Amino acid sequence: MAVFEARGLSVRYGAVLANSDVDVSLESGQVHGVIGPNGAGKSTFIDALSGRKRPSAGQVVLDGEDITGRSVRWRRSHGISRSFQRTSIFSSMTVGRQLEMVARRNDEPDLAGIIDTLGLGEVVDRVCGEIAYGTQRSVDLAIALIGRPRVVLLDEPCAGLVADEAVRMLQHVRELCRERNVAALLVEHDVDGVFRTCDVITVLDLGKVLSSGAPDQVRADPNVIRAYLGSAA
Amino acid sequence: MTATTLPEVSQSNAEVPAGRRSRRGLVFGLTVAVVVAAVGYAVPYVIKDTYTMSLAVEAALLGLLALGIGFLARHLGLISLGHTSFFGGAAYAVGVGVNHYGWSMTQSFAFGVLVGTALSLVMGVLVVRASGMGFLMLTLALSQALYQLCVQTSFRPLTGAYDGLLISFRPDDTFAGVNASDLQNPGLFWPIVWIVLIVCVVAVWLLGRSPFGTILEGVRENEERMRFSNYNTFRPRLAAFVLSGLVASLGGALFALNGAYVSPDILGFSRAGDSLIAAMVGGLGSLIGPLLGTGLYVWGEAHLNTGGNLHLYTGIALIVVLVFLPGGVTGTLQRIWRRLRKERPGMGGRR
Repeated sequence: MAVFEARGLSVRYGAVLANSDVDVSLESGQVHGVIGPNGAGKSTFIDALSGRKRPSAGQVVLDGEDITGRSVRWRRSHGISRSFQRTSIFSSMTVGRQLEMVARRNDEPDLAGIIDTLGLGEVVDRVCGEIAYGTQRSVDLAIALIGRPRVVLLDEPCAGLVADEAVRMLQHVRELCRERNVAALLVEHDVDGVFRTCDVITVLDLGKVLSSGAPDQVRADPNVIRAYLGSAA
Repeated sequence: MTATTLPEVSQSNAEVPAGRRSRRGLVFGLTVAVVVAAVGYAVPYVIKDTYTMSLAVEAALLGLLALGIGFLARHLGLISLGHTSFFGGAAYAVGVGVNHYGWSMTQSFAFGVLVGTALSLVMGVLVVRASGMGFLMLTLALSQALYQLCVQTSFRPLTGAYDGLLISFRPDDTFAGVNASDLQNPGLFWPIVWIVLIVCVVAVWLLGRSPFGTILEGVRENEERMRFSNYNTFRPRLAAFVLSGLVASLGGALFALNGAYVSPDILGFSRAGDSLIAAMVGGLGSLIGPLLGTGLYVWGEAHLNTGGNLHLYTGIALIVVLVFLPGGVTGTLQRIWRRLRKERPGMGGRR
């Protein structure tokens, strides 16, 4: 049963249609990957789902209710959280202070669990701007996961990470979604990582859905191979 | 609220746990405040020179204005040229309370603080959504509008227009135990303004350490992430603006009681600019910086203003600070202190 849906979502930047009639459906405990070449409209899609960008057509639906016009804060307080393509943290605060701040607002009962799972225990007293970039990405993810969200929209959480950090990050996403029964939408350029991590994958091309389904099904789709993956995939 | 505290991690390096360190910092800070309050209270017993004491009183009064400006700059990164409106508005309101309504000094003081704070609320609603240059110019525009309003001929009965407002206290009236005729005596007025200043400094310091201070820091650092973390960012910005306005209003109301005269100059652009320059020279990044800068400004005004060249010197001071001492005097002292701590073995700097 879908907990969060995009129904016929279109987003326009002036004359440019960044997303056109996109349908995506997320289920609890599942990781739904969105891939596509640069300019396919992946980040715009997350912006529209999270309330950062107003769609020009279509609906964003939570538990069957149309929430397209709802504010960013309303969505967060109703369990829709997100991370950002460029690390969005509080650089001058210590890791612990910013996580506590977000936890206090969102009634997180198990902040210690999030910190442990993401391996942030060693850096809680460190100023965030002074820790390694990979750890900053984990802090970004931790902020998004605080408050037991039901839906997490992750915009390239592996951007800028080295290979083994990226693998670890996607493992964390996978584990946390299963443990916490979260529906996750994962936008990512690391195609292999997405195929390894996700239960369902949607491929966007020029703002439109090119293919959608289980990883094996998408990998075998001739349209996807021709437009995006190439013959080596 | 449920368990939102951090686990006992990262103590393996034998550092003092964060919670205990925070409590120790609190006790240390409050102890320092009590000691400084006691030492400052005794200043009139040491400095017998009336002129020097009057400079100290002026520095403390303008220090309240700078404290308000500094609070906003430090916690929200907002640079205001509008706080003279609250300082001056409160001062005028004291005069109106005494002259126009015949209220006592205490009632007029309360009225002044209320009016100054209400002005900050009205201005805050209009400006706190802006930031950077937009915020600076909006606060300047609104404060200049208030200045123009006060000097209108039609407001002469209330404000005295360009002549200013001479306040006529009842001779038998008292404020905080000081007779009306003694309020102009800096030695007798000093304890009042000193205690108010210390209380405001401690309150602002505690607010900065509180969860509210953390929220302000979050809004300053990354407002969008705060909204995506379910925080309303307008209300804390407005609350901080009004609190800083309250501090400036306290200074303005005391200024009126001490001077028994309010000139429209205290609402002018020059006063706003001087206050901001003083705060920047002292250092906007620390609690004490704006106070130190104001002290330096008042000293310079008294001793370097020969030939009316004060603004030449303040301009030079600002250039020196902006080019060579980023963070102002206190910021530079903090950097030197950190460097010294790093160089001394066994003195690992606190993060």
